[in-house]
Formats: sequence, C-alpha cells, structure tokens
Amino acid sequence: MMQFAEHVQVRPEKFGSVIFETLCEKVFVTNKTGAEILRLLKQHKTPEEIIAQLAHDYGCSIDLIRNDVEEFITNLTNHALLKNAHK
Amino acid sequence: MIENELRPLSRLGGTPTPKGNIFSDYTAPLFIAWQLNAECNLECLHCCEEAGHQMPNELTHDEIMDFCQQIVRAQIPYVAISGGEPLLHPDFFTLSEFLRRNKVSIKVETNGTFIDHEVARRFGQLGFRSVQVSVDGATPQSFEKLRRKGNWQRTIDACKYLVAAGVNTEIVFVPTKFNIHETGDVIDLAYRLGIYGFYTGKTMQIGRAAQNWDILCPSDTEYEQFFKVLSQKQAQYDGKMKVYYYPDDVIEELKYRLEYPSTSLLVIPDGKVKLIGPLPFICGDLRKHRLAEIWERYQKAWQLTHVRAFTQKVINDSRLLAESNRWQELSIN
Ligand SMILES: C[S@@+](CC[C@H](N)C(=O)[O-])C[C@H]1O[C@@H](n2cnc3c(N)ncnc32)[C@H](O)[C@@H]1O
Ligand code: SF4
Repeated sequence: MMQFAEHVQVRPEKFGSVIFETLCEKVFVTNKTGAEILRLLKQHKTPEEIIAQLAHDYGCSIDLIRNDVEEFITNLTNHALLKNAHK
Repeated sequence: MIENELRPLSRLGGTPTPKGNIFSDYTAPLFIAWQLNAECNLECLHCCEEAGHQMPNELTHDEIMDFCQQIVRAQIPYVAISGGEPLLHPDFFTLSEFLRRNKVSIKVETNGTFIDHEVARRFGQLGFRSVQVSVDGATPQSFEKLRRKGNWQRTIDACKYLVAAGVNTEIVFVPTKFNIHETGDVIDLAYRLGIYGFYTGKTMQIGRAAQNWDILCPSDTEYEQFFKVLSQKQAQYDGKMKVYYYPDDVIEELKYRLEYPSTSLLVIPDGKVKLIGPLPFICGDLRKHRLAEIWERYQKAWQLTHVRAFTQKVINDSRLLAESNRWQELSIN
C-alpha cells in the first residue's frame, strides 16, 4: 500500500494541488492531473487502479497512461513524499 | 498523453509563470506563524518581540479555538507557534492537541525553560513536526549574558528530555558579539545531544535588538568568520545533522518579499495579522475578519503604494526597522 510520509500535507488548489513536506520545509506543486493522482493515492488506490481510473476518465488507453502515472509516483517516492507501507 | 508534473518550489513565491508560484495562486496561506503570547520569563537582550508582559487584549480561549477551527477548515498545512514564551500560555496544549488531531503540522519555538521529562513526553505523544529550542551559546556565560534570566544547563536538559522522548528537536542560535565565537561549539554540542537540525542566521535589528544594537551586533569580520564556520560545519555534518543557515539579512529578505510575498500570515497575540515581521503594517484582525478575508486583505496590502514606498525606505535605511513593533493598521478596501 502506498502511503504519504509522516510530515507530508496535500491540499487541492485551483491550479492542481500543493504538497508541503513540512519536515524539510519543501513545497511542491502539481497540475490538475497530478492532483487527481494524489486524490486517488489518498484513498489508498494502487497504481494499477489509478491507471485504470484515469484511462477511464480521460477516455484513453491504459498503455498510454501507464508511463505517466508510474513516473509521477516514482517522482513522489524519490522525493520521500510517498512510501510503500506494509498492510 | 496525460500531462502531469511535480515541480519543487525552492522558495514559496519563487519565479513567476506556471501556476502555484506566486502567493495569489493559493486559496489560503500555506503557513501560519503564530505569536501566541507576549509574556516571557526571560529578558533577552536581543528579543525582536520585546517580550515580557502580557499584551493587553490578547485572544481569549474561545477566540483561539475558533481560529484553530478556521486553520483546519482552510486546510492550512503548517503552523509555527511562538511568543513570548508559548509554553507559558494556558491554552498551549489545548490548541496543539486540537491542531494535531486534525493533522496540522506544528512546530513550536521555545526557550526550553518549562520542558521537563513529562512535558517532553507530551510533545512526543502529540507528534509535533519539531520543537525548536533557543540555545544561544555553548557556555552558561555567553548564553546567560544574552538570555538574561535564562539558565543554560536547564535549556540543555530540555533538549535532552526532548530527544529522549523521541521528539524531533531543533536548536536555534542567534549570533551576537557575546556568542558568535561559540557557533561551531554549539553545533558540535547539538550533534552530541542528538539534535535533528541547527538553525541560524544574522540577528535582526528589531525590538530590543535595535535598542541594544551597539553591544550586540557582531562586526563584519566576525560575521565573515561565522559563515565560514557554518559552511565547514555543514559539510562536516552532512547526512548526520541538518545545519541550516539563512545567508541573507532582513533587508535582503524585504527586497525579495516586495517582489514575491510569502504564502504565510503572521498572527500576533491580540489577533492582529502583520504583513511581515520587519514591517509595522497590520493587514487583518481575527476579531473582525475571517481567515479567508484576511488572506485577501494580505494580498491587497502588498499592492498598496504606501506599503511599497515604506518598505523601500526601510530597504534604504535599516534604522527604520526599529518601527516594526509600532503597529499601523492599513486601510484596505
Ligand atoms: C521571539 S522568540 C519566541 C520563542 C521563545 N521565547 C524563544 O526564545 O525561543 C523566537 C525566536 O526568535 C529569536 N530571536 C529573538 N530576537 C531575535 C533577533 N533580534 N534576531 C533574530 N532572531 C531573534 C529567538 O532567539 C527565538 O529563536
Ligand atoms: S527571545 Fe524568546 S525567551 Fe527571549 S525574551 Fe524574547 S520571547 Fe522571551
């Protein structure tokens, strides 16, 4: 299960969303698609479920979306914003 | 292809263009600096807040809790509680518990006097983002010369209790003529204590520091050496302890903020909201305005000709920083 790190705060904004990692006092912003992925991650959806959901919402193929979602999630993990938590 | 992105912002208010880079893009502040009280048990020579006695008309318990509810509703991610000495405030733990229950990150700035084993344990349970303790010296002599009613050993003990309770503990060090030569020693001490981060920067010529500037302000040569030590210690503790120093002085900060105001609000004990610490302007009042309205007023205030002209004057003449605690309410439509 993917989980946000302890000091990470996410807030929806008109432009997408803002992520505040308050421990290191670093701020990140995303656009609306990023915000949608974050919303689904907050609901503890798996990457596969997120890909399927977005493919459905945007009316495009899963293969087309997979790379982007995976890259976004890797990015979040690399910045220590998201971690893999055991159930 | 879907378009998504994750962009780090090095400093809020950074460069313009894409959305989320200027403060007016945000629906609410991202950070609240809250000076909860003016009461303090120490009489530090450098105190920018001129803290000591309670301010007349400080927010009541109900007003404090109402503000906390607004913070939660506006999804403000991060609050820093300061003072005066915030641990002297009777509502400190009540409001902290409320904010933590609602997942707001909190850090508190304290002189450490009131932190014993039990208080440290309470901080640990609440999961504060951090407790920042002011340790302005590696020896009782320098520390107590600056923090006149302070007790160095007690402050160090406070750090030990916090670390033992698993609290993310940080040390803040303000350099003056008395202690600047001890900078490296305080950093080493911080590391030995198991501190998470050490923070420092130039002393601001504000409040009591402005009144005592002649005896406090380090020389240019001392500052030069200070930054050398910091850079060396930063390298030495890389990956082991965060050593952070703010290289600019308050005037540089003002220059930057005039272009890119921060996405934060500064609330003083009577519920008035300051535009920024070093300027005297009040742009809102929790007793008269809701938080959303204050956020709008804050944005408008930065555009006022009078505000911009005065800020420019301060930038040209740093002695005007002494005005920062003589508050002026702005008329904003
Ligand atoms: C005003 S104090 C309030 C919290 C608490 N009483 C304390 O001393 O930590 C907040 C922080 O501001 C620092 N400070 C006070 N006067 C300052 C000045 N003139 N320039 C820079 N920092 C200052 C203090 O050392 C402390 O770290
Ligand atoms: S710096 Fe902190 S401890 Fe010292 S007088 Fe000011 S508020 Fe009190």
